[in-house]
Amino acid sequence: MLRLIITRVFLGCLTLFAVTLLIFVATEILPGDVASAVLGQGATPDTLAAFRIELGLDRPAYVRYLEWLTNAMQGDLGVAMTNKRDVIETLTPRLSNTLFLAGYAAAIAVPLAIILGVVSAINEGKWIDRAANVLTLGAISVPEFFIAYILILVFATNLGWFPSLSTVYADMGFWEKIYVVALPAITLTMLVMAHMLRMTRASVLAIMSQPYIEMAFLKGLPRRRVILRHALPNAAAPIISVVALNLAYLIVGVVVIEVVFVYPGVGQYMVDGVSKRDLPVIQACALVFGGAFVLLNTVADVLAILVNPRLRHPR
Amino acid sequence: MEDFAKKLREAERLAARSGVSRRDFMQLAMMTGISVTAAGAMFSKAEAAETPKKGGTFRMGMEGGSATDSLDPRTYADSVMIAASLAVYNGMIEFDNAGNPTGELLESWEAKPGAVEWIFNVRQGVTFSNGKALDADDILYSIAIHRGDDTSSPAKGILEQIADIKAVSPSQIAITLSSGNADFPVILGDYHLVVVPNGFTDWQNPIGTGGYVLESFEPGVRLVFQNRGEYWKEGRANFDTVELLNIQDVAARTAALQSGQIDAANRLDARTVDLMMSNAELNIVRTKGTGNRFCFVSRVTQPGFDNKDLRLALKWGIDREKIIDSVYSGYAVPGNDHTLDSFNPYYNTEMPQRTYDPDKAAFHFKKSGLSGPITLKASEGAWGSAVDCAQLYQESMAKAGITLNVEKVSADGYWDNVWLKEPFCAVYWGRRLSADQTFTQVYGSGSAWNDSDWRVPEFDKLVEAARVELDEAKRKEMYFTCQEMIAEDGGMVCFAITDYLDGFSAKVMGTAPHARYDMNDNRIAEKGWFA
Amino acid sequence: MALQNSLRNPPLSAKIGMAVLLFFIICAVFAPVIAPYGEAESVGKTWIGPSGEFWLGTDNIGRDMLSRIIYGARMTLGVAAACTLLSFLIGVTMGLLAAVAGKTVDQVLSRFIDLMLSIPILVFALMILSMLGSSLLTLIITIGVLDSFRVFRLARSIAVNIVVTEFVEVARLRGEGLWWIMRREVLPNALPPMIAEFGLRFCFNFLFVAGLSFLGLGIQPPFADWGGMVRENGRSIAFGIPAPLWPALAIALTTISVNMIVDWILSINARPSGASAEM
Repeated sequence: MLRLIITRVFLGCLTLFAVTLLIFVATEILPGDVASAVLGQGATPDTLAAFRIELGLDRPAYVRYLEWLTNAMQGDLGVAMTNKRDVIETLTPRLSNTLFLAGYAAAIAVPLAIILGVVSAINEGKWIDRAANVLTLGAISVPEFFIAYILILVFATNLGWFPSLSTVYADMGFWEKIYVVALPAITLTMLVMAHMLRMTRASVLAIMSQPYIEMAFLKGLPRRRVILRHALPNAAAPIISVVALNLAYLIVGVVVIEVVFVYPGVGQYMVDGVSKRDLPVIQACALVFGGAFVLLNTVADVLAILVNPRLRHPR
Repeated sequence: MEDFAKKLREAERLAARSGVSRRDFMQLAMMTGISVTAAGAMFSKAEAAETPKKGGTFRMGMEGGSATDSLDPRTYADSVMIAASLAVYNGMIEFDNAGNPTGELLESWEAKPGAVEWIFNVRQGVTFSNGKALDADDILYSIAIHRGDDTSSPAKGILEQIADIKAVSPSQIAITLSSGNADFPVILGDYHLVVVPNGFTDWQNPIGTGGYVLESFEPGVRLVFQNRGEYWKEGRANFDTVELLNIQDVAARTAALQSGQIDAANRLDARTVDLMMSNAELNIVRTKGTGNRFCFVSRVTQPGFDNKDLRLALKWGIDREKIIDSVYSGYAVPGNDHTLDSFNPYYNTEMPQRTYDPDKAAFHFKKSGLSGPITLKASEGAWGSAVDCAQLYQESMAKAGITLNVEKVSADGYWDNVWLKEPFCAVYWGRRLSADQTFTQVYGSGSAWNDSDWRVPEFDKLVEAARVELDEAKRKEMYFTCQEMIAEDGGMVCFAITDYLDGFSAKVMGTAPHARYDMNDNRIAEKGWFA
Repeated sequence: MALQNSLRNPPLSAKIGMAVLLFFIICAVFAPVIAPYGEAESVGKTWIGPSGEFWLGTDNIGRDMLSRIIYGARMTLGVAAACTLLSFLIGVTMGLLAAVAGKTVDQVLSRFIDLMLSIPILVFALMILSMLGSSLLTLIITIGVLDSFRVFRLARSIAVNIVVTEFVEVARLRGEGLWWIMRREVLPNALPPMIAEFGLRFCFNFLFVAGLSFLGLGIQPPFADWGGMVRENGRSIAFGIPAPLWPALAIALTTISVNMIVDWILSINARPSGASAEM
């Protein structure tokens, strides 16, 4: 197990390196560069040239990449090309905001989805199963901003229970943050519930037809015990995968929610960076997102091995 | 009764902004059954709100910022940084609400005949927030950072006409232009040109002469300003604290305004602003027809579009009224195929407004001898509703028997890949500082942004002659001809000029519409106060 | 026997699901006949409420909402189905291969997918766009490929659990080929969760299509698609205007219908013996 984790961490670093290289190449290929994006309509050929020289963009691509890489290895992600601010300094508070929101939503959504999924499987075809399915499926039938607008309309504009602006600042206390970020967290919960609930339900149902579960029933064990002790662990692999995918979504895919609730996370930073072709910013965000995927996938694989006795001792 | 009370409140508010005369106010008050004395007192009280009061925390929510923003004036591109800049710094020239240049840090000026040589007087007794007194060298430095070979400033182009600039004394500078320009002071009112101390480079800790000092700045999130305590402008910079939040999403901005989390919001959505007008807690300020000029631009050098009849068909075939009605709920004025707006003193009032005429469109299309579909490229990257406009255009052209294909292209990189490259695409233009600047930048042969590629030597000569013409009547005539030439022959279908729509909490005063930009020329932090 | 019975007699929920889907398919096929107005025809003011003239009101530029929803069924169902099929074809094949073909192949494929997942969707879509240009095909490929990475993660994690079971071991000992094992032993046993996933991915793609629309990818005006309609009209919901609810409702109905059918298929699969039916 330890060897597996070490291998995965090493391969993860390699993946991240490949990500930065790929993104560097991509931004080189994409039309437009930081100079033309920043200057916009103010760009004349000589101001463009002057700006490119100022940013060092006149040097060959590989030189710039190697320089970025050497600095990044030493923990220096550089300064943003557009506003000359230190990337790590800007990224750190935004990353902690992103993780806070993702953690908040996950803390509600994951347990709720798995419990409801199991309850749905136990009560297959009954009203609670139908209701849970229709409600969660309804929630994923509309774009994320749409749920956000409805929640704002009802809970902020009409009822006034929660603020519609979820901007958090460094000087806020934990509980104040929890209150301010309630609406985006609920929105995200609704967005990721359906997927995890449906997968839990499907996997548990699939396992229920296996002979050993029938055996357990024949032995006269109570239904709850059969499902929780026998069915669920064996149904875990796809559930873990889907949970990991959704956790990753909560970290990397929430830019629209950030925009609507004015929440200062990494997503908006990334999008602004891409539209301005601000390479150090894009690279730093990509490292964060890539890191999240690698980490979550590794954890998912390890967990899958832990829950399945056969995988623990592969022949 | 309910209704009257509402109207009265409305009148009270208008009185406070001197929109209602005492007589009108009294009449309205009578109708609600209030005694003459009481009404008189109410009016005086409302009028008293004209005198700015100090204090309070003013929270603005604005669109037009990004995580890549900076307080270096060479990087400004949109509203948030313009508004932030004017809280900390001062400009050289300010504009009054009608759009005329008035003195700011350059207090006054005069031109020698021919408008080539200019003398500007630097305002005395103004200090920077670090205690340094303002002098001519600060002005020279603040202009110099936008000039020279190695500057990346977008203002470089408009300052190229300066041949020589020097300080005559600590309170006076002399500028010589390469050729005459009667509008030159207006150029110095460009939003990039703000004043910093001589030699200043620490843009993360800005030093200016404005009414506020920067307390914190998270790009793309929030700026916080504190009152400096003293300000050289009488009755300005009244708030203790100003918070400028970056709220990109219009629905989020509106919700925050409605629920009282912010006191001011820019760029409200035309399609839903009517719903907010009825809310007595809010004050919607509309600036008619000075906003963005929305155009579909053809490059007249491209095959097909080099045919003048085809261009006329494009201009007659667009249903301006319908687009303004459907997409902007009437909060726009029809464009007359050039980008000058009616607030400009040289706007051609004699040229008839072009309207939708499918017969004329069909006639010119037939006359052009061309057939087959025309392709128009549009994108949300041009402006938010460009694709909506293009679809309505497509429909009105179809009624004239002309097939218009609308191709929706990527918003990312739109200005790099499509604008100035594709033969027919969507583009918006902002208001320029003067008629001269409009004609030179948008239609001049020498301009890199001449997006219709319409380069006519005759037109260039006319613009050049008008630039140094000091006889107003003659100048006006020349500019009228310029507009006629563009509208008749040019490649631009300019179909709408939008209104600016700002929303304020009813207690915010000093919110008058301004001819240049919304949010009272992006100076609401300086000009406003709480009633 | 039981299997055939339940195939012949689907439960009520599945019948409703099939009826709704069939209804939308008919709408798609006969749109010009059914729709009261044209797809691109601007018939009135913006966002009029439902009336006898316009049953569902008008959209953001004054087109009839009902007609747009009927026409929109064409693009929406077609594109979403194509994207989902493509993503499952790629994702499941690679996922099963990774599980069956041994450690090296698994590591190579898995790390490659990690790499692909790590590239932000925006950058990825922009790259494809700049390489292939924007067309309907590009849209389908972009979404199909992007989605297949996620399908891969799931397919692989299910398959590795199946690969270690006795019957796969037996098949290996029998000397069956890789392809045979994948197709005959692993795939059938991996099906139930994959079918559930298919039902959801299909529905995610309604919105995914619209989500990439600012990149100019795919569905060109004036053609309607439901996700795009919610997007174009969406803001108005913040002001209590119901216009975007109609296309959202169409998506929700389709999503729920597809998943009701999926549930039925799952329940057949779950009870080959009928023993657990009495629970």
